[in-house]
Amino acid sequence: MFTYYLRLAWISIFRHWGLSLLMISAIGLGIGAAMTTITVNYLMSANPIPHKSEQLFYVQLDSWDINDPFDEGINPPDQLTYTDSTNLMKANKAFRQNVQAQAYGVIEPEDADLLPISVTARANSADFFAMFDVPFIYGSVWSKQSDINKEQVIVLSKKINDQIFGGENSVGKTIKFDNNVFKIVGVIDHWQPKPRFYDITTGAFNESEDIFVPFSLIAEEKIRRSGNTNCWKPSGDGMAAFLAGECIWTQFWVELRSEQEKQDYMTFLNAYVEEQKQYGRFQRPLDNRLSNVMQWLEKQEVVADDARMMMAMSLMFLSVCLLNTIGLLLAKFLGKAPEIGLRQALGASKATLFTQYIIESACIGLAGGILGLGLSFLGLIGIENLYGDYMQGLATLNITMMTLAIALALICTVIAGLYPTWRACNISPAQQLKSQ
Amino acid sequence: MLVMKNINKVFQTADIQTHALRGFNLTVNEGDFVSVTGPSGSGKTTFLNIAGLLETYTNGEFTLDGENIGKLNDNGRSRMRNHKIGFIFQSFNLIPDLNLFDNVDVPLRYRGFNAKERKRRIEENLERVGLASRMKHLPSQLSGGQQQRVAIARALATGPRFLLADEPTGNLDSEMAQAVMSLLEDINKQGTTIIMVTHDAQLAQRSPRTIQVMDGRVSEVDLHLTAANQQAIA
Repeated sequence: MFTYYLRLAWISIFRHWGLSLLMISAIGLGIGAAMTTITVNYLMSANPIPHKSEQLFYVQLDSWDINDPFDEGINPPDQLTYTDSTNLMKANKAFRQNVQAQAYGVIEPEDADLLPISVTARANSADFFAMFDVPFIYGSVWSKQSDINKEQVIVLSKKINDQIFGGENSVGKTIKFDNNVFKIVGVIDHWQPKPRFYDITTGAFNESEDIFVPFSLIAEEKIRRSGNTNCWKPSGDGMAAFLAGECIWTQFWVELRSEQEKQDYMTFLNAYVEEQKQYGRFQRPLDNRLSNVMQWLEKQEVVADDARMMMAMSLMFLSVCLLNTIGLLLAKFLGKAPEIGLRQALGASKATLFTQYIIESACIGLAGGILGLGLSFLGLIGIENLYGDYMQGLATLNITMMTLAIALALICTVIAGLYPTWRACNISPAQQLKSQ
Repeated sequence: MLVMKNINKVFQTADIQTHALRGFNLTVNEGDFVSVTGPSGSGKTTFLNIAGLLETYTNGEFTLDGENIGKLNDNGRSRMRNHKIGFIFQSFNLIPDLNLFDNVDVPLRYRGFNAKERKRRIEENLERVGLASRMKHLPSQLSGGQQQRVAIARALATGPRFLLADEPTGNLDSEMAQAVMSLLEDINKQGTTIIMVTHDAQLAQRSPRTIQVMDGRVSEVDLHLTAANQQAIA
């Protein structure tokens, strides 16, 4: 009977194409608007590293001014000072640990035909790659000893390796970056976590960096750092004074494999801060935090308020579209009252008719869902154009979202069709047949 | 066999109670051809709707083929209609969006026949009413008489024991009406019980048994005798 119902639905939709088109358009518009905003919210709030997001922890220490707390005292500072980061690195208390900051510079290719390339860089520890599961095409990460020895080693992104070396294995070759020669130790594959959780302070949805170099080279001024810097008291002149000052500009991640390791690390952090208090630092009450990836994204409000607002508004719009669909379905099904009466006379039970008309509603919903998918694509392109780089890479509908769009359209339309179908199935057949 | 004992039907609105049937008693035996006559508003159609399980009755006792109708739920009544009753209406009631083949197919689908059996029955019954060559036509492409013949084919397709006809010739000219009546007589001769509501005394005369409904009650009339008397007087 299912195929029979489908055929009847097709005939009904086709014969009453004007009304059907109105309903499909209403559902399509509602689904299109809803899916556009749901997709943006979904991708913004997605877990970028689901298999180990609960083992990676962002470290926060409250080193701020006792008289003027950071974030009005709600949260400790969102980055660490160079002093604290390097101290934590030296302590080496976590299974893996990574200190990092954003950097930039210019690569000068050996090939005279190639122009210098301005690149974004990440200054980080060796553990960065293993902690965040960065995939390598060629070579591998530099050693921890390279960090300590401040060796001029570099890992290239696939994009830069393609650009300069035509995609060939460049490991072992050298490259000139900001007038310093670096030895290439690895080339990573395309890697773009969404959100870019490892450094939210410089943009949760920016592209991942072009090159990766040891963090220790910042102190040597072999690379130029960038990103956000906040200071609560002035530092002296020169790099050494800046590094020793109370400016926060480094991010610190640790990998802790169990609850016990997390507790131990927190104990260590508390002890570290107590020790620093002896030197006149950390005058505020103890407020050390370890946030796993999803907690950190939540704290940093990666999903923007206006995105949430847009989603709420689009869902309200979908509700309005569905209310219209209910009205149109009611008109259509009640218009079929004589046919419904006749079908009852010929042996259709109320349950049978209910199934038939719900399937017709679902077919309209399916068509509306497909239209909505098309409109979602357009909506996402519109949002990408509106927001520019901030939304780069988020304006895509993956299989999950496409399935959700169709499922949402089907469920909404079936729900919208319940009342009209119920009304239609409860008409008196005798009355309808007589009134013909 | 159709047996109605002391059937009452009351239509209730906020202020008014209308007694459509009052103590209605009737027995129709297998193979009967019964014409039901009576003035407008006498309760003929209400009786036919109750007999066809399209409407419930207020109280009384109604059995169809030994089954107590009062105890059936919606599914049971639908199954009974589909298996045992065929309907013919004054305004044909074909589904305008479906062609003749699909119109006759409707009750067969609810019966659950397979495709081959459905096709056989559709072709056989459309052949029987002389419309086998027009299976793919829409109802709107047929004359009134042809549409009524399709409705008869549809009513017969499931092989019902009872055929209920409500003014089956009401929308037809006299020539078409006679043709449809002849078709019904043929069907009756093959064993189908027919109950026909009609205003047309001439058509009613052609059926072996006629009952008159007046004020919701039934009174048996032998129109053949009356007609014979009239001829003798003339």
